[in-house]
Amino acid sequence: MTTSHPGIHPRHGLDEVIHAPVRFSIVATLAAADKAEFGFVRDTVEVSDSVLSRQVATLEKAGYVAVTKGYVGKRPRTWLALTPDGRAAFVAHCQALRAIAETAADR
Amino acid sequence: MAEYASKDTMAAVAALAREQELRSTVRDGTKWYAWYQVIFGSAAAVMVLSIGLISRPYGVAIGCGIWFTVIIGLSIYAARQRVARLGFKRRHASLIIAWGLLYGGVLSAGLRWFPGVVAWWVPGALLVALPGLIGGYLEARR
Repeated sequence: MTTSHPGIHPRHGLDEVIHAPVRFSIVATLAAADKAEFGFVRDTVEVSDSVLSRQVATLEKAGYVAVTKGYVGKRPRTWLALTPDGRAAFVAHCQALRAIAETAADR
Repeated sequence: MAEYASKDTMAAVAALAREQELRSTVRDGTKWYAWYQVIFGSAAAVMVLSIGLISRPYGVAIGCGIWFTVIIGLSIYAARQRVARLGFKRRHASLIIAWGLLYGGVLSAGLRWFPGVVAWWVPGALLVALPGLIGGYLEARR
């Protein structure tokens, strides 16, 4: 998803899937963890279950997030984790953000 | 055009700040692993002391009883946590390998050459506790 355009404004290095604010927050949360429970991500990002489900589905479709379902005792749990592709895309996205911020600071 | 560039910059700075904030929240959520390691290390030390200093078969029974109870408790505690730190599997494998090597070394040498010798078993227990205690300390400092 990330496309690099040498010599062009760093905004072109932003990942279109991750760029949306809620998806950015989801990916940023997962980037700091090996895996996180659905409820933890929901509470951290401060969205509803349905919004999180929808955004996670988009990220899963892009191959950025892996969803695992299981049980703790009798309680069903859903775990979310970044895939290696998702982690790489997030690193590249953050590099583009830093480049944008630095470009402005250099002016 | 300048206004557009400025909006881009502000959005980038805000996103980076949000990323830092979320990383900090996740880090707080993974602090449970510090307690896990400290309890693991302490229980390992108690087990070694019990096996080494209390006469058989009571020492082995008490030590292993405490150990298995603690491990079951820690496993339930870990399973109930909502988030695992980045690099959790690698860190946990390192803890288990370091503990296993030290435990095996202290126990095999102690049972063969130093049965009941306090001067061996107390430092040995501390040595066996170190991976958990150091790991817990490092985890709490993150």
